[in-house]
Formats: sequence, structure tokens, C-alpha cells
Amino acid sequence: MQDAFVREHGGRVGIVSQDIPLISNLDVLGNITLIREYHGNLPREAIEDLIRDLLRRFDLAAIAHKRSAVLSGRERFVVKLLRAAMVMDAVVVIDRPFRLLHDPKDYGFVLTSLKKIDEWYKECHIFDYQWNEERYGGADAPQDGT
Amino acid sequence: MDFVGRLGLSAIRAARTLSDTLSFAFQILVKMIDRETYNSAVRLVLFRQVYFTAVQILPMFLSIAVIFGAVVVGISAQYMKDLGLSEFFGQMLMGFVVTEISPFFTVLLIALRSCSAINTEIAVMKVSKELRALEAFHIDPARYLFVPRIVNGMVSVTLLSSLFAVAVLISGWLFSRIIFSMSLDEYATLLIASAKFGYIFAMFCKCVALGFFIVLIPIRFGLSATNELTSIPIAVLNGMVRVFIAIVLIEVLSLIVTSLLGKLI
Repeated sequence: MQDAFVREHGGRVGIVSQDIPLISNLDVLGNITLIREYHGNLPREAIEDLIRDLLRRFDLAAIAHKRSAVLSGRERFVVKLLRAAMVMDAVVVIDRPFRLLHDPKDYGFVLTSLKKIDEWYKECHIFDYQWNEERYGGADAPQDGT
Repeated sequence: MDFVGRLGLSAIRAARTLSDTLSFAFQILVKMIDRETYNSAVRLVLFRQVYFTAVQILPMFLSIAVIFGAVVVGISAQYMKDLGLSEFFGQMLMGFVVTEISPFFTVLLIALRSCSAINTEIAVMKVSKELRALEAFHIDPARYLFVPRIVNGMVSVTLLSSLFAVAVLISGWLFSRIIFSMSLDEYATLLIASAKFGYIFAMFCKCVALGFFIVLIPIRFGLSATNELTSIPIAVLNGMVRVFIAIVLIEVLSLIVTSLLGKLI
């Protein structure tokens, strides 16, 4: 289902997934700016301040020059989320967030994180197993995952 | 399987490896000449690669160039004097040291230092699915990772070979003073008289070819890593062995071409 979804939305999909790692020889800033540098041909300096501002929204300005290996699960999730949001008219796809965030309480963290950058993406879809439904608040959780 | 069968199998494997490498080289060349490849991200990678390969190495490279140059030029000059071939000293410097020794020595140093690193880097990126991550964001690994590294190889080998040649020529001046009692003016005149456009052009072409292949091959073998960590050392080993084979092949080919051109001209 997820593959079909990615095919349907083509180049607008920004994936947040355990299977799509950060680039280990780039720091946090490099990983996030790469998308706009490559697709928008923008110089890194033009985007850096913007990314620092986004990191500040999560109180994570201090990790700007850290690399993936030293980040905590939540920090890595935020960096992957920001990277996904850098895609133009982004359709953010979060693939099984609890593989990235191990604490069941973390769904609240996912929602809060999405709200902090809601002007940066057009849509967000969360894909997960049916048996994880309770982690999203059970019956109250949106069934289509959107 | 008998001896002939094994020999045939080896020949087929070698031919397949060569054909795959040339096909990969063609794909990279097409992307290399495409102006759209050189976006902001790729330019940044290219500058960084040139810094890591050609600038960071400078103190060690210059020290080795001066020491090695002094030894080679000193011994050659002494032998030439003993054999009564002093009048060919300039040609020896320009034709042998500048055209042959400088690119060869430079390429060996770069292969040992940078190409092994590139081979490992690509293999690690393959194993850790980072190449897949780039593709997920529609970033072409060939344009973003491979082209800047290969262009860097071509630029760095050419620049460092030229620097090596300059260091050797300075050593040559020292020995021309000691052994041939030559003044700076005489030495400069000798070099200018011995300098031929053909030598410089041959050196340039060889540097570009060496720079291209000594980075292309480690990348190709880095990509042969599987999903297992244990495949990384195998990919690096295979890549580096092929790099040294390629260096020898290009040296031999360049000698044949130079000698054929020499006869024609």
C-alpha cells in the first residue's frame, strides 16, 4: 500500500522511516538542506538560517552540526521530519513511527512535531500496523491514517 | 574443470568486469558532461572533495615529492654524467621525470589515501542504505556522489602531478648545480629547450585518464557491497586491486601511444 502511495504522489513524497536513514557523513544541517540544495539549486547559506529557525522550534538548535550517530531517537525523528518537509509541496509520509520512537507516549510527540512545522507540508500520512491502533488513541484515531 | 576451462572462465570474468566498468564509465561520462549535474549541492561536494584530496595532503605530498625528487634526479644525474650523457639531462627531466614519474607517483599516493577511502565510503553507504535514502528523495547518487568524486580525481591528479613536477624540477636545479656546476640561467635555458608541447600534453592526458579511473573503479566496486557488513572489506579489497591493475594498464597504454606518436611524428 505504501509503495503504491509513493508511486501515486511521485516526487512530492518526503519519507520519514527507519529504512530511509540520514546520510552519515553529513551533519544535521547538511542532511536537511541537501533536498533544497539539490532540487532547488539553492546555495546552502540561503537555507541555513531557515533550518536553524526550524530546529529552534524544537529547541534543537544545538544539534545543527551533529551527525546522525550521536542523535537520540527523538532528535533523529525530528531531523528526518524536517528533511521530508524540505521537499517542495511535501506529502510527508511517516512510516511506522514507533520504530523510530520507542515510547508509546511518543504519538503525542509526533503530532506536536507536525504542528510545529505545519506550513511546510501539504499533507501528512502515517502508516502503521493495525495492531498499533491503541497507541494512536484507539477508536479516536483517524482510520485512514491521515 | 580442466586448465583450459578454468583459463577460459577467468578470461570471461575479466572481460565481463572490463565491459561492466566501461559501461559504468560511459554512464558517468554522460552525467559528467551534463551541465544540469552541477547544482549547488554537487558543487559543494566537489569543493569539499578537492579540499580533502588535493589540499589536505599537501604538507605530506610536498615533503615526499622533494625527498623522492631529489633522490631520483640526483641518482639519474650522477649516472648520466658518468656515462657521458650530460647533454640529455634536460630531456631526462622533462621526458622521464615530468611525464612519467610525476603522474605515477601522484596517482599511487592518491590511490592509497583517497581512493581506498572513497571505496569504503560508497560500500558503507550501500550497506547502511544511504544510497537508497538519496534515491527516496529523488537525488541521483551518480550525480550527487560519483560525478564530483571522479571530477575531483581528475583535477587533483593533474594539479598534484604538476606540483610534483615543479618540486622535482627544483630538486633538479639543486643537483644540476652540484653535479654539472650549472647556473640557474643555464638550467632554465636547458629546461625550456627540452620542454615539448607533446610531453606536457601527454602528461595532462595521462593524469586525466588516471584520475578518472582510479576513482571510478573504487566507486563501482563499492557498489558491489551487499547488505552485510562483511561485504565491505571484500568490496574494498576487490576495488583497490583493480585500481592498481588499472594504473599499470594506463601506464603501459600511454607508453605505447607515446612511442607510436613519437615514431609517426
